[in-house]
Amino acid sequence: MKQLVNTFLAILVVAFALMYLGSWMNSNEGYSGSNTLTIYNWGDYIEPELLKEFEAETGITVIYQTFDSNEAMLTKVEQGGTTFDVVIPSDYAIAKMREEKLLLPLDHSKLPNLVNIDPRFMDLSFDPGNEYSVPYFWGTVGIIYNPEMTKGMNFDSWDSLWDSRLKNNILLVDGAREVMGMALNSLHYSVNDQNEAHLQAALTKLNKLSPNVKAIVGDEIKMLLANEEAAVGIVWSGDAAEIMDENDKLDYIVPQEGSNKWFDNMVIPRTAANVDGAHQFINFMLRPDVAAKNAEYVGYSTPNVPALKLLPAEVSEDTRFYPPATLTDRLEVYDNLGKRMLAHYNELFLKFKMNK
Amino acid sequence: MRNKNGFSNLYLVLVFAVLYAPIFYLMYYSFNSGGTMHEFEGFTLDYYREVIQDTRLIIIVINTLVIALLSSAIATLIAIVGALAIQRTRSRRAKNSLLSLNNVLIVSPDVIIGASFLILFTIVGIKLGFVSVLLSHVAFSVPIAVLMILPHLQDMSPTLTDAAHDLGASRRDVLTKVILPIIKPGIFSGFFMALTYSLDDFAVTFFVTGNGYSTLSVEIYSRARQGVSLSINALSTMIFLFTILLVVGYYFLTRRKHRPRIAEPVAELGVPR
Repeated sequence: MKQLVNTFLAILVVAFALMYLGSWMNSNEGYSGSNTLTIYNWGDYIEPELLKEFEAETGITVIYQTFDSNEAMLTKVEQGGTTFDVVIPSDYAIAKMREEKLLLPLDHSKLPNLVNIDPRFMDLSFDPGNEYSVPYFWGTVGIIYNPEMTKGMNFDSWDSLWDSRLKNNILLVDGAREVMGMALNSLHYSVNDQNEAHLQAALTKLNKLSPNVKAIVGDEIKMLLANEEAAVGIVWSGDAAEIMDENDKLDYIVPQEGSNKWFDNMVIPRTAANVDGAHQFINFMLRPDVAAKNAEYVGYSTPNVPALKLLPAEVSEDTRFYPPATLTDRLEVYDNLGKRMLAHYNELFLKFKMNK
Repeated sequence: MRNKNGFSNLYLVLVFAVLYAPIFYLMYYSFNSGGTMHEFEGFTLDYYREVIQDTRLIIIVINTLVIALLSSAIATLIAIVGALAIQRTRSRRAKNSLLSLNNVLIVSPDVIIGASFLILFTIVGIKLGFVSVLLSHVAFSVPIAVLMILPHLQDMSPTLTDAAHDLGASRRDVLTKVILPIIKPGIFSGFFMALTYSLDDFAVTFFVTGNGYSTLSVEIYSRARQGVSLSINALSTMIFLFTILLVVGYYFLTRRKHRPRIAEPVAELGVPR
């Protein structure tokens, strides 16, 4: 009995000593304090230096947390539990959050730096008038290819993917909207098409692509392409930039028929505890020097016009990632199609996957 | 006979090779200056330095240890009471149902437990963070500890408590001087089982962490999505060596006492996960 009680006490002593050590380290690092701002962002999606800079400038302590998918983020925000002050979801997730009244309207008077954002990227269908969201990064969906393995093939058009030379050599990203959108684009329809005949035609066309498709994969697509496991992949431009960083042989192109342009925007959830700090942070991220530093670190395309001038020319003049307005005008944002249409898209995509 | 032995030895070696190869592979590359797990370029201790300098990571390690120690201690206490209550239940049917309910909790998927906790906490209004993680770890550890303690209670001869009563022991004395010492091995194995469960639990913890509070499994998962950095290898190596030290230390401590240990039947029983 004595041994039991002693052991138990020893465990408690150790646990509380560790707890004390932990909280001491926490306060030493300034993680606990009253003036804090909780930011919820994608993994590795901000230059860490900027957080320190923001803390130094405003005296606000930043608690930084990460998520790996819009869906995971939505669950956490919907459930409450944690009070996030700034969240950075993608376009369709913003539409959904707006619908479910999870967001606070932004006070534009507190965001003077909003003028820096390219008007092309404002007032889009998922958030008219930017009432709730401010662009953070943007990009496209396109084709990444390995010129050595494709021997001079031209990927100007989506149709090139159906070339029999690419047999068993294409990797698709596992997203219903992306893959269906690509098929619809190749038929010169909109990525948001809801016409049943058009959708069926897209499915038929996709089924014809099957022999060329090596696999439909998730995040590992980056590693597979960088390791030259396949010659061609359908990816988001951000992923493409990362892949090309690892393997500079590869090249990226957005086909002429059109494609999707996506956005990751900053929003303030309704449950935010530090609304004022959240506005300060958003405004801070909109500053040209900050946006440029961030874009340099993350490698995605910034929507901030003056920031572009601060970036090295080889980056800002790279039309693969900063396409001219003539191309971006042809690109479409994914509309929120509603639950039923989305389910239909998923179903068609599933049919294609089963045929594969 | 010899032949058979040789075969079983070979089998044993194979099993251990499969179990330990990934760990040694990981440890080997934690010293790689190349920065990847493809090719070994040269020896470096940079990643160890990185781990030690990363205060956030150290805080997370401390969090993980605190949660593991506290939750398994609390869970063991609850489990002792629970096991005693199950043992005392007279009706066979009620006893069996209680036991089955206990087992259902052990085999039910962590993801479901985690999601249910998330919903519960948000309804009740408990802020996600230390408290929510601690509570859920206590909860999923209790059934395991009960399962570790119960067989010892069942093995205990009822005549012992009867004799104690006859000799005039109070209820309290019976509990503290007779029952608890007898089931002590069960209590310890329950505690250590709960400890390991808590240390490596990802699925449940993933749902209930928040507000900047995180444990090691969740942190490593979110880092791994960007490709596993070798500092994670270094950290894993350190934790692995630490565990080995503990086990070796425990071994020598028990040896020194020269006490013949009674084989514990429960320790050999695997618990389904």
